[in-house]
Amino acid sequence: MPIHEKSLIRPENLKVHDKLSIDGVDVSGHWSTFIETRVVPDYNEALEKEIAAFPGGDKIHRCFQCGSCTNACTINAIEPRFNPRYWIYLIRMGMEQELLRDKDIIWQCVSCHKCTNICPRSVEPEGVMKATALWLEEKGYTPESPSHVFDKEFSRQVFERGKIEDTEVLHSFLVKTKQPLLQDWLVAIMWGIAKRVPVKWGLKTALAQVFKPRTRSWKKARAAIEDYIYEEGEARKEKLSRSRAKQPHLEAAE
Amino acid sequence: MKPILVVGGGPAGLAATHALANVGQPSILVEKMDRLGGAPIFSGYAKLVPSGRWAKEAIGGMVSRVEQDSLVTVKTNTKVSTFDGQPGNFTAKLSDGTSVECGSVILATGFSHFDSVNKPEWGFGLFPDVVTTTQVEQMISSGQGVRCPSDARKPKRVAILLCVGSRDRQIGREWCSKICCTVSANLAMEIREELPDCHVYIYYMDIRTFGHYETDYYWRSQEEFKVKYIKARIAEVTSDGKQVIVKGEDTLVKRPITIPFDLVVHAIGMDPNVDNMTLSAVFGVDLHKHGYIARKDTYGSMGATSRPGIFVAGAAIGPETIDDSIAQANAAAMSAFAVSRELTKEAAE
Repeated sequence: MPIHEKSLIRPENLKVHDKLSIDGVDVSGHWSTFIETRVVPDYNEALEKEIAAFPGGDKIHRCFQCGSCTNACTINAIEPRFNPRYWIYLIRMGMEQELLRDKDIIWQCVSCHKCTNICPRSVEPEGVMKATALWLEEKGYTPESPSHVFDKEFSRQVFERGKIEDTEVLHSFLVKTKQPLLQDWLVAIMWGIAKRVPVKWGLKTALAQVFKPRTRSWKKARAAIEDYIYEEGEARKEKLSRSRAKQPHLEAAE
Repeated sequence: MKPILVVGGGPAGLAATHALANVGQPSILVEKMDRLGGAPIFSGYAKLVPSGRWAKEAIGGMVSRVEQDSLVTVKTNTKVSTFDGQPGNFTAKLSDGTSVECGSVILATGFSHFDSVNKPEWGFGLFPDVVTTTQVEQMISSGQGVRCPSDARKPKRVAILLCVGSRDRQIGREWCSKICCTVSANLAMEIREELPDCHVYIYYMDIRTFGHYETDYYWRSQEEFKVKYIKARIAEVTSDGKQVIVKGEDTLVKRPITIPFDLVVHAIGMDPNVDNMTLSAVFGVDLHKHGYIARKDTYGSMGATSRPGIFVAGAAIGPETIDDSIAQANAAAMSAFAVSRELTKEAAE
């Protein structure tokens, strides 16, 4: 049985007949070995291209399913469902629904890069995990991850002023992720700083919160960065839409 | 009549000199080691694929045939130091100080075995009971039998790991070494024959027992010898002090593997000859991007290199079987013969 057909014998997919007889033969019970002839219509043939359009996912086509990544994986050692080799298989086959069963664990990759170091085909599975997690977010299958929220706030400040205000980053992050501002560890740190820092520096920090200084002549750099981000975003959008457009039969089915 | 220079005394070199002698063409066979025979003799191979004949006897026969031939001058412990001239009129200076004139050249310089210490995660060099296919060949050919090097016990469980030093971008070996799958199946059967109580597992990504090897080795090893094939590329080989432990993922059933073995065998690949950079410089021939000696074309003149008058055959071109090396050597001999007799026609390109 091909790997992907295993889904057919999951408990929820088994056919059960309490009482059934065919031509006088009693065939009641689990029909686990009787799989009806069927057409599987839910392949997303563009899935590999979609993942490849995200940063880090572009080498997924090299995979030859040896499983070195899964073998070497830090997370797999404690969470057997975390299986990069299998997800790469699903993505390349276009089995979106199967992939989505694991949507809540794909983000768990800790970027230890053991897979990158061992992969004999240089797929860079760590990048594929990151790309898949981003894809899940962009498609709305998973909520935005806290780290993504943090990154966005951090980069927003950098893009705007060329520098960050630590306090503001932390404050916005806690607010956006709906966490209490007065956390024990945070209060302890603040007290520690307040006791040691000279008054002049304290004032400077407080003023910075109000006036939000910029890096000198940041305007040009900002424009360039914004241009780059815009171009990258458009390029990815185009890749995604192109991979869709090439499959008119899928659109018809939707 | 100028002789033809054949470099390398393995199966290809032996076949080439023999073919030339058959048509009355004298040749000089230069071999860097102290004996002829090449890898099958020097690495102590056991029974060869696909004939099943002992290497010593099969290749040994080729050696004595050449040694007894008056048209072949054998120079062992010799290398070519410098090389100059045009097709039909080459001069080679040898490491023994002599100088030879030759009409054309056949490079039959073969390959080097992959050195398993380059894949440290698979335990070679760390644990005595991790060995290479070459070592198992030697255990069999020496008559000692397959034993664990640590304490000479008979192994009860043997794992053969395929693609060690092949198909691996991490270490710059992107090629398939072509014969390791078949050699491993052959060794697995040898082990099962000698030690019927021993379980033999082969860990593979793909099985490439091409052509007739499919039935004679792949299926025969399973049907007659009950060798077990598991689709997994092993992540690491460790040890608990008594046995070696193999870790991986059985990708077909999506389940992790942590299994103790008595003996782990690396099916090592065929690297380009470690001397290829020197050979390329001395003879002025181009190398293939992976470091083998490059052929000029596939369909024109057989075995032509980038330099006219110099031909190449066997595992010097890339991973090759013994019988195909011999066939290529005969083809290269034909090309070299034509050049040295100035009979060359335009290559059909």
